[in-house]
Amino acid sequence: MRVGIPKGLLYCKYHPFFETFFRGLGAEIVNSEDTSKNILNMGVKVCVDEACLPVKIYHGHAASIKDRCDLLVVPRIMQVHRNEYICPKFCGLPEMIVHSIPGMPPVTSAPLYMHSKKSLFQWCVSSGSAITRSRSRIRHAFELALKAQNSHKTGIMDQKDITVMLAGHPYIVYDAFLNMDIVNKLKAKGIGILTEEFAPCAASESQVKKLLKKPFWTFQRNLFGASAALYEQKKIHGIIYLSSFACGIDSVVIDLIRFHTGDFPMLVIKFDEHTGEAGVDTRLEAFTDMLERRVLNEDNRPTYGQCLYSRQNPV
Amino acid sequence: MKITVPHMGNVYIAVKILFDGLGIDYVIPPLNNKEALYLGSKYSPDEICLPFKLMIGNYIAGIKNGADTILLVGSCGPCRFGEYPELQHKILEHLKYNVEFIVIDAVKSIGLRELFNRIRIVGSESRKTLPGKINSVIRAYNAMCILDDIESQAHFKAGYEKERGECKKILNFCKEEVLSCDNPDKALKLLKDYQDRIRNVAVDYSKKPVKVAIIGEIYSVIEPFTNLFIEDILMDMAVSTRRNLTPSWWLKDMLLKIIRLNSRELLKASDEFLPLCIGGHARECVGEAVLASREGFDGAIQIFPMGCMPEIVSKAILPTISREKKLPVLSLIVDEMTGEAGYMTRIEAFIDLLERRREHVFAWN
Ligand code: SF4
Ligand code: SF4
Repeated sequence: MRVGIPKGLLYCKYHPFFETFFRGLGAEIVNSEDTSKNILNMGVKVCVDEACLPVKIYHGHAASIKDRCDLLVVPRIMQVHRNEYICPKFCGLPEMIVHSIPGMPPVTSAPLYMHSKKSLFQWCVSSGSAITRSRSRIRHAFELALKAQNSHKTGIMDQKDITVMLAGHPYIVYDAFLNMDIVNKLKAKGIGILTEEFAPCAASESQVKKLLKKPFWTFQRNLFGASAALYEQKKIHGIIYLSSFACGIDSVVIDLIRFHTGDFPMLVIKFDEHTGEAGVDTRLEAFTDMLERRVLNEDNRPTYGQCLYSRQNPV
Repeated sequence: MKITVPHMGNVYIAVKILFDGLGIDYVIPPLNNKEALYLGSKYSPDEICLPFKLMIGNYIAGIKNGADTILLVGSCGPCRFGEYPELQHKILEHLKYNVEFIVIDAVKSIGLRELFNRIRIVGSESRKTLPGKINSVIRAYNAMCILDDIESQAHFKAGYEKERGECKKILNFCKEEVLSCDNPDKALKLLKDYQDRIRNVAVDYSKKPVKVAIIGEIYSVIEPFTNLFIEDILMDMAVSTRRNLTPSWWLKDMLLKIIRLNSRELLKASDEFLPLCIGGHARECVGEAVLASREGFDGAIQIFPMGCMPEIVSKAILPTISREKKLPVLSLIVDEMTGEAGYMTRIEAFIDLLERRREHVFAWN
């Protein structure tokens, strides 16, 4: 049995779980390659035009391995935390894939509630049933998978004289092709990076509490909480928010952060399949130059009394 | 306290009847128009969905007319609608408008206590006795149901009417007259009269008009300004339309959801293609497409605002339904840039296609 696992969307966070589980059942794992031009083109071709870039790329990953596997794992992640959602597109991911890509092998479609062990196990039973009917084998593989997942940590912490928070959904921040290798570009410029994983939990919780309403998107809680906390604690000198065009969640979150941080430097880069690398480089360059001037020469104050990269400059 | 509410189709008429009955001070912002859209787009995030922008436009117009409180219903599906108040509040604050938000939210997210609390804030403005208040609410609810019924009959009968344009005329008169009536009891009476009138419109069921189901995102199908008055256009073309999503449907759905008895048929129809609720009304959209084909409709038109997340998922599914159930579907995506000319052409071409397709089928029979 060959089990295909596309390397898109939350693969970067949860791949140990899925891979360990299916390997534990004795399946052979078929991964797609890292995101590339090829994958992107394939995705753009099959996916609904209006979808966001990460979803299109996911389609590409799925399409690239569909003929090489007997079962494709398309996790329908409903919730990661109790009573919080991720995004409607995640909830409908198996349907989008099956109805957009012709000639799909069977796809896992059971819903996943990552916060509940019981629900996770149920997912394993229903998805593993294609391979084995033995509960005990599934149970065993499940335990292994949980352990593997728990020891998997993501995040970048690299504080320097000038440090920015690299905000954005994990599949944008950690996909070097999608974000045009921003991480290494920043490193080359000697800029430090912090990601949401390293924001102090308690502080970000208390920032989130200040919102009128309890957020119901995990991305929103994480990103807003982390940026607000890092900003309040003065751990960062600027925020670079990597986003995708047509992301409904970011259209809210980015502005929430902007309203909270006011004049604090924030660069928002939105990607889609037409984004050119040169343009991104220029904007990155201008932003980091500005940060350098501001931090090193001007005592962290904007030159003209207002920061060109904050609310006045939405892109 | 002077309350204003954002627009959504004919809801304002029921709201008027409600507040007139309760004796609460209110402002109904002018119907959605270019101005609301302009202001809304100017102050909202670029990529937020269209309803958000129009609502901001409504608020600003309402505030300029003296409103100091905004009443809004919320929801907490995994969709943006539930996050509207948060950001809208911040935007209005930023614009230095001093307003209060009262969000009637789902019990699940704020708890029953808080819900009653919020309702009490609104209710305490009224000097009516409790039975009087309850009576007003029921009356407004009835008005909404009747209004929706009149509208849906008018839309459906437009294809069958003997005298072209009669349904549309009745519908327009009805809205006008009810709106200019300040006595809630009289307004309800008027509505009932109009309901009779529309029921008795002379129809010719031997006609075979093109029948189209209007499906998609709830706000953009209900609010005619967002979909460039598609239902009126189709009435003029003598096309029969049906739309399941109405304000009264929404209310019933919200209430019945608590005991999971909501829209059973619709959800069952969607099971084959989208078995889970993914937020917004994607599931209803899919279910309606299936039902439409089952009930012999000629086609379906899906309408949603640019960037609407749940509807993008249903748009991915619709081609399969279209293929398997032989139901042509046209997806129309609306945003502040939607141009009338191209839009009209697409609708006309689609209706044309449905007509020709039918002749084709007949020829083969
Ligand atoms: S959260 Fe945004 S980027 Fe991610 S899948 Fe949803 S719409 Fe796309
Ligand atoms: S259903 Fe669509 S239009 Fe409505 S709030 Fe959600 S994304 Fe916006």
